[in-house]
Amino acid sequence: MSASYDALIIGGGHNGLVCAAYLARAGRRVLVLERRERVGGAAMSEEVFPGFRFSVFSYVVSLLRPEIIRELELPRHGLHILPLESTLTPLPNGDYLAQWNDHDQNRRELARHSLRDAEAYDDFGLVLHQMARAIKPILAMAPPDPGSLDPRELMDMLRLARYFRGLGDKNLQALWKLLTMSAAEYLDEWFETEALKATKSASGIIGTLLGPRSPGTAYVLLHHYMGELDGVFRAWGFAKGGNGAVSAAIAAAAQAAGAEIRTQAPVERVLIQGGRATGVVLEGGEELRAGVVVSGADPRRTFLGLVGEQHLPGEFAESIRRFKFRGASAKVNLALDALPDFTCMPGRGPHLRGAISVSPSVAYLERAYDEAKYGEISRRPYMDIVIPSMLDPSMAPAGKHVMSIFVQYAPYHLNGGWTDARREALGDTVVETLAEYAPNLKSAILHRQVLSPADIERIVGLSEGNIFQGELSLQQMFFLRPAPAWSRYRTPIEGLWQCGSGTHPGGGVMGASGRNAAFALLRQRR
Amino acid sequence: MSAAIVLGSNADALVAAHLLARAGRRVTLVHPRAFSDRPASWVSPRLRRALALEAAPAGADATWASALLPAGGTLELAQDIGRSVEAIRRLSPRDAERWPQFCERMAALARLLETLYAEPPPAPLDLRLALRVRRLGRRGMSDLLRVLPMSAAELLDDWFECDALKGALAASAIAHLQQGPRSAGTAFRLLHHHVGCAPGVFRPARIDLVAALRERPGVALRAQGIERILIKGGRVTGVALAGGEELAAALVLSAEDARRTLLELADPGWLDPELARAVGHVRRRGVAARLRGRARHRPATAVLAPSLDYLERAYDAAKYGRMAEEPALEARYDGDRVEIDLQFAPYRLADGPWDGAARARLAAFAASRLPELADAPLSVEAPPDLEEIEGWPEGQPFHAELALDQSLWARPLPALARYRTPIEGLWLCGPGMHPGIPGAAGEHCVQALERARA
Repeated sequence: MSASYDALIIGGGHNGLVCAAYLARAGRRVLVLERRERVGGAAMSEEVFPGFRFSVFSYVVSLLRPEIIRELELPRHGLHILPLESTLTPLPNGDYLAQWNDHDQNRRELARHSLRDAEAYDDFGLVLHQMARAIKPILAMAPPDPGSLDPRELMDMLRLARYFRGLGDKNLQALWKLLTMSAAEYLDEWFETEALKATKSASGIIGTLLGPRSPGTAYVLLHHYMGELDGVFRAWGFAKGGNGAVSAAIAAAAQAAGAEIRTQAPVERVLIQGGRATGVVLEGGEELRAGVVVSGADPRRTFLGLVGEQHLPGEFAESIRRFKFRGASAKVNLALDALPDFTCMPGRGPHLRGAISVSPSVAYLERAYDEAKYGEISRRPYMDIVIPSMLDPSMAPAGKHVMSIFVQYAPYHLNGGWTDARREALGDTVVETLAEYAPNLKSAILHRQVLSPADIERIVGLSEGNIFQGELSLQQMFFLRPAPAWSRYRTPIEGLWQCGSGTHPGGGVMGASGRNAAFALLRQRR
Repeated sequence: MSAAIVLGSNADALVAAHLLARAGRRVTLVHPRAFSDRPASWVSPRLRRALALEAAPAGADATWASALLPAGGTLELAQDIGRSVEAIRRLSPRDAERWPQFCERMAALARLLETLYAEPPPAPLDLRLALRVRRLGRRGMSDLLRVLPMSAAELLDDWFECDALKGALAASAIAHLQQGPRSAGTAFRLLHHHVGCAPGVFRPARIDLVAALRERPGVALRAQGIERILIKGGRVTGVALAGGEELAAALVLSAEDARRTLLELADPGWLDPELARAVGHVRRRGVAARLRGRARHRPATAVLAPSLDYLERAYDAAKYGRMAEEPALEARYDGDRVEIDLQFAPYRLADGPWDGAARARLAAFAASRLPELADAPLSVEAPPDLEEIEGWPEGQPFHAELALDQSLWARPLPALARYRTPIEGLWLCGPGMHPGIPGAAGEHCVQALERARA
């Protein structure tokens, strides 16, 4: 048995790695245990087909906290982010709506659809920008428990109240609306162009089994506005080498600080002695001991799987059982012989270096959701597409391309269950739908990889394939994430901590949970 | 004696007028149409005292809902928890077991809501509110924080397995709301309708405030159209009636909806453009049709909402501007008369106007589900008719949809939630104001203005 550690981190996803890096930098002896053959979790690049590399699951970078990039010096460890410059929404009538990073170009394009929307666009951006700034400090906060009598938590609660009051009435009111409204209704107050409203509201439905008209989705819209790159809000980028490069950079930073990483080391259970977590048992029986165990796995896997209900207080176990996952997203990765040729914008152009969003109208997205909520795959799904090889040619052989398609909705709880046939049917639906806008697509496909929520669960270990480790709905946020009274990264089991996206502030390749958990742990043990 | 004018034809207008009269003002109530007979659901004890109203009828063993089962028969939900348990047991022993605990937990939350409803809305960061919430105890508090933003479907799925039970409860959670049971925030609506009820009762008793106050002396009633609200230098000076007559008053309370009051009756030029824009965005879509006719009496309100999915599918249609093929139905009986709400029936139909055929479809649906309807024809009032008859904007009886984002401190929108408008002397007191229970906004508005003048 090797030397004992201060902390064992279960899972080498980006949050586990971030947590490890911060603990190691504080002088702790840390070991990360990863079940698979490489770290990264769902932020992972892989040569799926010979010569073709994919960001297999998560595929863009935006939410990664700038303080993490700065403090862990990720660029020095190999992180290089290439900006995505546009979003193209092809329309069924052969027209398109494009959103460009260039302000004037964007305004001209919007004005082509609606002068009013072009006018409103800047105001809208300003309001969301302000909101995102208002929310920003909250991302880095361990949510206080409003029911606690602990003077420290009471002080934190008071500080939080003072902070909110300091935002002023206007911001508070705007925040309340964002928290409680649907993305579509919120956007109805601003815009009239269907494709614009749909493409914007799409960011509110990503990762959740909710439609653009479902209340609560306006907030997720904001969540996606918090993406911040080089100080510019609402900037999306692509990591050179794919999202695996993000994980690799964090892992390198952690190792440079002294953390150890073991891959192919699946944890079977958390060792609990006298109500205290003392280490873990690996599959195969090896026991590892440490002062604390930090789980980057989602709440269900951590508590109902690795810990076991018998060790948990009844009410806590009930909360974890009730924690909602309901994965609704799938991923299709295509190896292409040629670039897609969009009818609305033919040929090779800057639009292929940006995102392409199949979201022609709010009703289109809502219909896609209607099918999924009764357990069917959307017949006409929402898709968010990028072509990474356009930005980073090393992703594909010369002259060839890789295409990453995020698909919604493909419900985890599919009527009749997921089978190989259903998975391929999903792939067909995606290709058929996209081919309506880019007819050459079908003949350009060399290989196709389809990942259903069931596959995501099986491969990465995310329960029900939920990409956020649990829905980001209001009753599962902030001090309720993942359970009331246990939102500060601690758990009812002494010595066991959590650092995954199932804790505040939640998912996206953000890393905030991992950083917050490390700080909470260090503050506790000082 | 200073003069005040109250505008509106609902319980809130009557309550506000009589409270002002009791406070010594000379009050004229201008009602542009016949008083709406939409009954109040809950009257706070304070309002009861202030207006010397009789206590609500008790009816200890009454059944509050009779849920129609798809296979025939009914699920009878009674005020008496034990009787409900027996009825539920026939469908699901597990749910019967859970019913008493569910009732207890919901009653605790509704009591908190009741204290919030008994006064003008709290500020979101009100310390007293925080303390009150803490007093619920750890479990009550986590229930509250979890339940308020939840969907009714999630809440009910947590507790129960029986479709009929979940459907009957969820039907009231989405009543008159352009949302389905899976929409976040609808669990709050379940609690809203629980306020003022005994534990185990999720449909409030119907108290006819209008009947109690309509004939009462002390307020001058004028049945006349309203042309506009007169404003000089940012101050209200009176009201111009249809026909040209002008009434002078430095105080005007409007129980008409906020959009009509501020953007049509008042000159919107007096408003800050941002506020005017927000007022124009208050959602007030009517979603239910009302049918009236004669029927053999039933002792309890009949509810047709056999499952959560049934309600959700009915809502699906409305999202695209269609009438539900199979709407949710609630039928209330009074002697040999029946009043039926059918939801969803949107204000604007995507595929044509509200014509005779559309109305006939609703009547045929009701007749097919309620055998006790007499052969006499049903009158069908679609949302546009209700706008005309009752003055409900777009057919929405709450004036502002009672969704979570338009509730409490944000009802109908944050800048107007304290009943006061930027126009000096003009106040809002209608159903679109907090708390969205007939009569209560009238009371709170008068309370707020008396406080402001004190």
